[in-house]
Amino acid sequence: MMSVPLVAVIQFPGSNCEYETERVIRNSGMDSRIYRWNQWRELKDSLPDAYVLPGGFSFQDRIRAGAVAAKERIMDLVFSEAEDGKPVLGICNGAQILVESGMVPGWEKGRIESALAANHISGRSGYLSRWIFLHATARAQQICPWLEINGIIPLPIAHAEGRFVFSEENHGRTERSAALKYCDEKGNESGDYPVNPNGSFLNLAGVMNDRGNVLAMMPHPERAFWLWQLPPSLPGEWGDRRTHSLLSGSYASSKGPGSLFFTSLADFFKGER
Amino acid sequence: MGNISIIVRLKSPDPAAMTAMSTFRRIYPEMCPDSLQRYDYWCFMNPRQGRETINGIVSRYHDIVNPNKQTWSFINESGDSDDRSDDSMVWIDVRVTDRIDSVSENWTAILRRSNSEVDGVLCSVLWRFGFAPGVSSDNARNKVLELTVSTYRDHGLLANPVSQKIDLPAPLKI
Repeated sequence: MMSVPLVAVIQFPGSNCEYETERVIRNSGMDSRIYRWNQWRELKDSLPDAYVLPGGFSFQDRIRAGAVAAKERIMDLVFSEAEDGKPVLGICNGAQILVESGMVPGWEKGRIESALAANHISGRSGYLSRWIFLHATARAQQICPWLEINGIIPLPIAHAEGRFVFSEENHGRTERSAALKYCDEKGNESGDYPVNPNGSFLNLAGVMNDRGNVLAMMPHPERAFWLWQLPPSLPGEWGDRRTHSLLSGSYASSKGPGSLFFTSLADFFKGER
Repeated sequence: MGNISIIVRLKSPDPAAMTAMSTFRRIYPEMCPDSLQRYDYWCFMNPRQGRETINGIVSRYHDIVNPNKQTWSFINESGDSDDRSDDSMVWIDVRVTDRIDSVSENWTAILRRSNSEVDGVLCSVLWRFGFAPGVSSDNARNKVLELTVSTYRDHGLLANPVSQKIDLPAPLKI
């Protein structure tokens, strides 16, 4: 048992999801504070219990998404805290930063062993924004503090570079780093658009390190924290829940599928996992 | 017929090149180049009417060259650009190309559909590293590879070899 855990949200120049991320962490029963990329000393002094790298376009995605932020001094601290086992979550651009930092899959310390490459979809290129479905792998559910998640989860994606890529010699060991996979509303995986929206290897939507404490995911759970954030046409269980809550009058206060990631972490700190 | 390549650059200073330079200065103060330039590099495969075909494509599609903010030039067969020359520095060029690239695929499809008489298009980014005279070419090439290829968190910046191909063509005379 510990006092209210503090989750640090790291803001880089160009991050644009830090405030809603901070808010949903607080709504999940934890404390949260935003630290700018150059506040590494303040970050170090406040001894956070976990870290979130939010979505956005750090350094305007110049050179390659996440590449410049990965070299920032504050990432030395995040890297070292992850080595000590503290939970780290990267969402969208945050995931790109974790990949470019070599923190996931992290088979060899600090080595960059994967990439979040440009989406590869027949007939179109560039930015893609839509709702997808995913499920957590069995291994991730066991070892990842963010992922006490069963069933099929709808979440929004919004990215141009979200295709997980691994070197061919590493394909054999990628499965054990798989944390989240794209699927349809019934849980069936497919490598084809729109089920796999970007051509990601093994339909990967999220990748973790071997210990499971670092998770890089492209979808945005903070944008599906409340049921009212779900679109009316969403099929599946969560679409039904949305309709039911709307009819029962609990629409405004009912938590959505994205909340599971953050309540999962809160439960982890309570020792309930 | 053969392939014809062009390079495209911003008229204003390139923000990605500026960010790369400032990052190099911070993480590689001893290896930092004296100049860094960034270009879009377009290789058009087998244009039927040679440069005339490319002139037509470039003038028709402002997504390739936006004349309001970009300039472009051909790269001739000897690897020289028609743009301008600068021999006062040691130049090393690096071309970075996505191994799988929707942009190239989609431009190939667009240009084939519009009967523009090319077999395909390959888009890359060309980075030009300039070092002050006195640096040997070998030394400069080693520095460029170290600065470019991202293998560890604290090694390299411009290309992730997991998803990108990196080649060092003969330096262009620009």
